[in-house]
Amino acid sequence: MRRLLSLFTVLFLFAASNAVLAMEKLQMGISVDLVPVSSGFAGQDIVIFGSIENADQAQLYRGEYDVVIEVIGEMEDAIVRKKDWIGGIWVNASSRDYTDVPSYYSVLSRNKLGDVSDLSILNSMGIGIDNLKAKPVDRGNIEEFLTQGEFSSALRRIRIEENLFSEDPTALEQLSPSLFRATLSLPPNVPIGVHKVRAHLFKDGKKLDEIENSFQIRKVGFERWMYDFAHEQSLLYGIMCVLLAIFTGWAANAMFRKN
Amino acid sequence: MSIYLPIAEISVNIFILFGMGAAVGFLSGMFGVGGGFLMTPLLIFYNIPPAVAVATEANQIVASSFSGALAHLRKGTVDVKLGIMLLVGGLFGSTIGVYVFSLLRSIGQLDLIISILYVVFLGAIGTLMTIESLRAIKKARDNGGDVKVKRPGHNSWIHALPLKMRFRKSKLYLSAIPIVALGTLVGVLAAIMGVGGGFIMVPAMIYLLRVPTNVVIGTSLFQIIFVTAYTTIIQSTTNQTVDVVLAFILMVGGVIGAQFGAAAGHRLKGEQLRALLGLLVLAVCIRLGYDLVITPGDLFSVIGTADQGAH
Repeated sequence: MRRLLSLFTVLFLFAASNAVLAMEKLQMGISVDLVPVSSGFAGQDIVIFGSIENADQAQLYRGEYDVVIEVIGEMEDAIVRKKDWIGGIWVNASSRDYTDVPSYYSVLSRNKLGDVSDLSILNSMGIGIDNLKAKPVDRGNIEEFLTQGEFSSALRRIRIEENLFSEDPTALEQLSPSLFRATLSLPPNVPIGVHKVRAHLFKDGKKLDEIENSFQIRKVGFERWMYDFAHEQSLLYGIMCVLLAIFTGWAANAMFRKN
Repeated sequence: MSIYLPIAEISVNIFILFGMGAAVGFLSGMFGVGGGFLMTPLLIFYNIPPAVAVATEANQIVASSFSGALAHLRKGTVDVKLGIMLLVGGLFGSTIGVYVFSLLRSIGQLDLIISILYVVFLGAIGTLMTIESLRAIKKARDNGGDVKVKRPGHNSWIHALPLKMRFRKSKLYLSAIPIVALGTLVGVLAAIMGVGGGFIMVPAMIYLLRVPTNVVIGTSLFQIIFVTAYTTIIQSTTNQTVDVVLAFILMVGGVIGAQFGAAAGHRLKGEQLRALLGLLVLAVCIRLGYDLVITPGDLFSVIGTADQGAH
């Protein structure tokens, strides 16, 4: 029902924007607004769809418009540690603290980012893994960390290895000259929280429009209840864990004694 | 079949975990140890975050030690008074241990300290146990028969200490100081390493306190129930790292495996069991030590705030 409603909203917005008839505009919808994480969660595909409105028809048919979609998890702090050889063993010897690091970041597009626009333009807009802006905490200024230094490149590399940062220049398909669809494959370890979906419209390397939407990833049912219980009633939770263990130990003892 | 662990926040294969529980349970039933020293490193190899592995393992040991202690209570091989004195130290030590655990975690050295403690303690105990049991096997072969476990010589400095108490079941008249101190040491290690501490407690009771071997395991298990129950609760309130779903899978696998292990253990002689256990302990030690020494595949590691637990 809700999905249907959002579809209607999109259609309504199409009509409204046609009436205004000004510049090129993007419209976008997401197949879900809640991704439930329960005991069997093994990742999920979600579909982002939309259209390019008020486009120059000739240019549209020549495919001169480009759409880039960013999916951005919640901002968090991250610590990057580096091991060193000290006294014969490997020890975490140095570290950097960063803030405003997205817990999840994915870029979906039809072409490689370098073909969509100049790297300097993408960098200034913070689009792409290489261009993410986050701040080292201890420096206390606006130094953009992700493009420099071994710690920042390690952060980027490890997040890519963990499937938490990704760029897919084939994920977006053009259904018709003005309609597009992109499939986002959320990995099993995707962090919970509100994830923003931001679509950018480019032509000749210049950004024309941007639209943002979001969906939420949330633990549901038993998992959510258990997590909340452990964090909000931690003493009771601990006692419950102990009682469960005592019961299991007793049950095993009683069961096998008879044999 | 994969299952999502609510506290560890990862998907794991339920059969692999159950199998790990059963395999470690088998060995622990066979050798009469809790198995925490095997299970915690296994969980870490299986990518369970070390903080969750350690805290959850304490919870699992409550189940296995309770099951084992019940059997010993029924046979009358528990010195409750001695157990309570060990427990006094154990609860104190465990409180310190959980505090040190939080501190190490916040400065990023928890994994390292866990590994070093494992290597040091497993190395020392594994070596001693292997040497002692190989000697016993050799002696048994020379004499062509069974050997008694040698009661070690008189530890005069321990018996010179004040605050003496009588432990009737153990037939001991002993100062409370070394008992509480031993309990404290094992409590600290149990909280940091995610073990019950039986593999330290049992040899220390035999060789330092000279407790008769027939009550050693029962008494050790008796006090481990309380120390690990207490550790579970403190870890829950301090670090929120006890994963009850993970613990339950391991518990069920563990108690079942232990029954079969105990049956298998009856077929082997005491010194053969101790030699095998010694070699097993050494193998885990070498595996963990190897990771500390070889160049890691990745020098860098990333911790997000979400991984840090309570905030």
